[in-house]
Amino acid sequence: MATITVFPSRLQLPGALRRPAVAKLAVLAVAAAVLVPLLNSRWTNGTWPHELTVSLTRPLTAASDWVIDNRDSNPLFLYFLGHVSNAVVLSVRAVYLTLLAAGWAGVTAATALVAWRVAGARLALGTAAALLACGLLGMWVPTMQTLALMAVAVLASVSVGFLLGLAAGLSDRLDRVLRPVLDTMQILPAFAYLLPVVLVFGIGVPAAVLATVVYAAPPMARLTALGLRGADREVLEAVDSLGATARQRLLTARLPLARKDLLLGVNQTIMMALSMAVIASVIGAGGLGDRVYQALASVDVGAALAAGIPIVLLAVVLDRVTCAAGERLGADDGRRTAGWAYVALAAAATVAAALAARLAGRLDWPDAWTVNIAGPVNHAVDWMTAHLYSGVPYVGGTADWAGRFTSWVLDPVRSALLWLPWWSVLLIVAALAWLIGTWRTALTAVLAMAATGVLGLWKPSLDTLSQVLAAVAVTLVAGFAVGIAAARSARVDRLLRPVLDVFQTMPQFVYLIPVVALFGVGRAPAVAAAIVYALPAVIRITAQGLRQVDAAALEAARSLGATGGQQLRQVQLPLAREALLLAVNQGVVLVLAVVIIGGLVGGGALGYDVVFGLAQGDLATGLVAGVAIVCLGLMLDRVTQPTRRRAGKGA
Amino acid sequence: MRRTTLTAAVAVLALTTGCGAADMTRQASPFANARGARTVTLAVPSWVGAQANVAVAQYLLEHELDYRVDTIQIDEVPAWDALSQGRIDALLEDWGHPEQEQLYVREKKTVARAGGLGVTGHIGWFVPTYLARQHPDITDWKNLNKYASLFRTAESGGKGQLMDGSPSYITNDKALVKNLKLDYQVVFAGSEAAQITQIRQSAKKKKPFLTYWYEPQWLFKKVPMTEVKLPPYKKGCDADAAKVACAYPHTPLQKYLNADFARNGGRAARFLKNFRWTTEDQNEVALLIADRKLTPEQAAKKWVDSHPSVWKKWLPR
Amino acid sequence: MTETLQPPARQTTADTPVFAVQGLWKVFGPRPERIPADPELAALPPAELRERTGCTAAVRDVSFDVRKGEVFVVMGLSGSGKSTLVRCLTRLVEPTAGAIAIDGEDVRAMDRARLRALRRHRAAMVFQHFGLLPHRTVLDNVAYGLEIQGVGKARRREKAAEMVAKVGLEGMEHRRPGQLSGGQRQRVGLARALAVDPEVLLFDEPFSALDPLIRRDMQEEVIRLHREEGRTMVFITHDLQEALKLGDRIALMRDGRIVQLGTPEEIVGSPADDYVRAFVRDVPREQVLTVRTAMRPAAADEAGTGPAVRPDATVAEAIEAVARAGAPARVMDQGRCLGVVDSDALLEVVAGTAPREAA
Repeated sequence: MATITVFPSRLQLPGALRRPAVAKLAVLAVAAAVLVPLLNSRWTNGTWPHELTVSLTRPLTAASDWVIDNRDSNPLFLYFLGHVSNAVVLSVRAVYLTLLAAGWAGVTAATALVAWRVAGARLALGTAAALLACGLLGMWVPTMQTLALMAVAVLASVSVGFLLGLAAGLSDRLDRVLRPVLDTMQILPAFAYLLPVVLVFGIGVPAAVLATVVYAAPPMARLTALGLRGADREVLEAVDSLGATARQRLLTARLPLARKDLLLGVNQTIMMALSMAVIASVIGAGGLGDRVYQALASVDVGAALAAGIPIVLLAVVLDRVTCAAGERLGADDGRRTAGWAYVALAAAATVAAALAARLAGRLDWPDAWTVNIAGPVNHAVDWMTAHLYSGVPYVGGTADWAGRFTSWVLDPVRSALLWLPWWSVLLIVAALAWLIGTWRTALTAVLAMAATGVLGLWKPSLDTLSQVLAAVAVTLVAGFAVGIAAARSARVDRLLRPVLDVFQTMPQFVYLIPVVALFGVGRAPAVAAAIVYALPAVIRITAQGLRQVDAAALEAARSLGATGGQQLRQVQLPLAREALLLAVNQGVVLVLAVVIIGGLVGGGALGYDVVFGLAQGDLATGLVAGVAIVCLGLMLDRVTQPTRRRAGKGA
Repeated sequence: MRRTTLTAAVAVLALTTGCGAADMTRQASPFANARGARTVTLAVPSWVGAQANVAVAQYLLEHELDYRVDTIQIDEVPAWDALSQGRIDALLEDWGHPEQEQLYVREKKTVARAGGLGVTGHIGWFVPTYLARQHPDITDWKNLNKYASLFRTAESGGKGQLMDGSPSYITNDKALVKNLKLDYQVVFAGSEAAQITQIRQSAKKKKPFLTYWYEPQWLFKKVPMTEVKLPPYKKGCDADAAKVACAYPHTPLQKYLNADFARNGGRAARFLKNFRWTTEDQNEVALLIADRKLTPEQAAKKWVDSHPSVWKKWLPR
Repeated sequence: MTETLQPPARQTTADTPVFAVQGLWKVFGPRPERIPADPELAALPPAELRERTGCTAAVRDVSFDVRKGEVFVVMGLSGSGKSTLVRCLTRLVEPTAGAIAIDGEDVRAMDRARLRALRRHRAAMVFQHFGLLPHRTVLDNVAYGLEIQGVGKARRREKAAEMVAKVGLEGMEHRRPGQLSGGQRQRVGLARALAVDPEVLLFDEPFSALDPLIRRDMQEEVIRLHREEGRTMVFITHDLQEALKLGDRIALMRDGRIVQLGTPEEIVGSPADDYVRAFVRDVPREQVLTVRTAMRPAAADEAGTGPAVRPDATVAEAIEAVARAGAPARVMDQGRCLGVVDSDALLEVVAGTAPREAA
């Protein structure tokens, strides 16, 4: 019985794919046959024709100048944006001063108590330990600055996201408008969000907070809408049947029913906000990110690590605590203990701890209690540079690998992409996107790719693309291999799980530190960081996809005497096709995000343009590059996005 | 979290009800002046010489004048904007940004001059001295095309490589290469640290290289370099960024303060106005930070301990 | 949220039906209102209708009355339109055409407030998959309907506790639905519906998600409740046994139409068409049909002797009585002998060859 389900699916799949695929390719071939000679006669050169570019530099520079000239006089700024900016500054300041007033003892006590209440004793201990570690590394004040910024940004993101999600959850029309926008925002690299806010708000905390909100609100909005829409129909019908008004229905049924999604949204928002708050140090967010940024500029790996460790600790603690809180709330086990008494207790403990510290004159983290890890780390790095960096017998040093990777992989890929005539790049994009999606996806992908050319950034875009392709190739090979191993062996899976958990919560910025130490500066370290960042997601999706393959089909294959390899090739991989495609899509999106940040470590191309734009105050260059990044991201997503549209319809 | 909500709510409420004009060009950093401590916020540019200025200024402000010092890494051009908005109080080393000076100092009067740093800066193209000895004529730009093949690398393709550092530095190199019709490609290392790493790696193997570099710089003590002569600088020859075809000027480096801070900054402002040292002093501290890997604070302490006669004059009475 | 809209004076007499449904239509699809309006379209079979108009008629021209105090069962296979029909009664699904009256008041003409009042006070529904709020305790789920009405916390909890006891869930007040078994959950659903003290209880296949044994318990529970309170019930099911067991009258639906409406005895004893006949073929007739079906006038010598049975006794009961006594049984109504049943006549009923006089 089950064998019947195995073999047809294996035989039908290519067959089902082949017919429409051939048709689509034929259409493209005809289009190409008509258009290419035409284009070729007009522009013989293979690179993007100059006539087809539109220079945005002048209007953007004019806009940027106008903003600087009018920021202190135009009513729009005085009566609206000024207040926004002011509100951000005041609220961040209020939180920051509160945190400082509580002192290290107060903050540690309060957060540990909160963690205890929502997530249990073990996580409370972990939280306290993490905070103390931040102090121990001499990073207490930057940590508090980052926390203050995060608190405001998360609050704003959650409110904005919730309201948007509510609107999309209740109104079908708004949902249709918002969903593609939110979906697209989800795939864009964080770096692309920095420039527009800098244009309006200038460098500084307000810009950083707003960029964070823009980046972190979409997941909240998506999950809120999803939760509201995913509510059990019969429950809602039951609520209606009892005569509930629209408001009662929303407050007593729809929102409580969506609370799991809402909490997941809060968790995601916090993680994205942390990631962004760190990256936003490039536009003056201050705090921990700024320390990393400073250290990167002087390739001071020790200092970067001292600031990077608190970021990782914060990320892990925030993730675990919000996850645990979500699970507890979602567990429906009826444990609802007295809230107010607990709040009073926590407040009292905080005040007591703060007072005790103040009386002891130890409100600030005592300097004597810091451990300077920068020195020893830098020693180790120096030793590595001296011994492992270059000229190691037989294997070569890490810098040699980086050099070889650059000249044997990155350079050929880039040359090949640049050698391809521009129309053939567009054709390839069209073919890939159409094969995997609809003509609509193909059109979006082609237009997005063409837009990079129109913006005059064809070459740097292809440069970035070459880095993405190289990184994705390595990521997929490694990710699929490890993913298959994890799916087939419970022990590998057990070993990998905590590692992946930690890696997946780390902000993108952190990955730049070790690669600079190992591979120096250039495109190779950027690609390496991208690979390390994207790998966990690819491994996880692959392993899950393989494990979720219909057990009956596997059992049937085994009963026919299939070997392990045959099972994998003939049953698991074909049935997990969708998950594997999703892994590719996620891999591409994550790799792009880090390749762009790679501009900070010499990755060049589009990321460099953004850094340059920020560094030189040349917003026109930066913004155009930012738009090109958006286009590239859109194109890559469409080319690798398999069935999300169909799945989205059902939801 | 509850407290956060409350404060944020109160803040927002206060703002919306007190609905006057809000000029966001006059909003300080939220982290400044925390808990009544007098705070000075200094911009830290990304090169070591400027970090040396900040390290010593910070050390003296904290230990002699009892200030709390926040530092923010910020590039030169954005620093001007931040200075104007009061998000930073002082910029201790500026290499000449006439446009910004015109806008913020003369027109808006939000930034005030604070005198010279005592150091003169100069940007140029340099080759290692060992290479200049081998090929003495390489130090004239007219002969650079002859030697282009020497400087070829993987990143520069078929042309010679002219290595630039951080994207944030003042540079006319792309225009120079074009206007002087040189067979070279400008390659950005991404940061100064990266550039230094590259230079030292090349010097170790006595490989040829051509780099954008500047004085004062501690690296000259480690890797002797000789400047390549470009067409001489004349006033105004660099006015049009696209048509530049002359050398970089010698610039006396300047200090700038936020205008409000300059007026009301008390002893800190006066101290920063007085801050003035020599190229040797700066290089000494920079070398301690960059080569001996001391923290800026340790380096500053070392210098302060050995040069009391220099800094005692800076302290306001 | 205190909606204390009193219904306008209704002319409720003893025989005003609780629900009176006339020519009800529910059509899903584009421009549904044209289907009932056009006699040609209205007459099309489902497949053809879908092909021509893209519409599906879930309920087609249905009419019936639900009398006060009776258990009215709507029975049909899945897709027959019975669930849509029951939702139309309180406009959870908006009908396309036709008339619905509750106690003589036009439901389709009600504005939103009146409709809410109807749902809050007059008709409560029990759902197939319970429709409980997973984040609330049993007690708060039961009190939910009262909360919606704006009843104070103490009073609604008190009332809810009473209902929880009535359905036999004492001691489970503070559990969440996730911690209950299916049968217990449906008791919560039942208690929630009872808590608002409605005129009519609507059941939408309430027991079809339950195990057979628990289903039987729950059916007994409903019978008990009906016996104790005499509340009007509309009961949707796809299970013929359940329909026969609970229903005072049964409406049998197919493709959106009622193919037969009658007492269980009428449905089993005289199916209206072949569809119904096929449906009831396997029903143990002696359990459903009453002795009236097999009764003949008493011969003079029989009126005084033999065992006595009630006129609404089932044939099965009569067989037992006849077998025990070895003689024909008398059908006695208030001391009057209506007739007798003998073993031959009873056997004919079981065999299905009896003449259909009860139709």
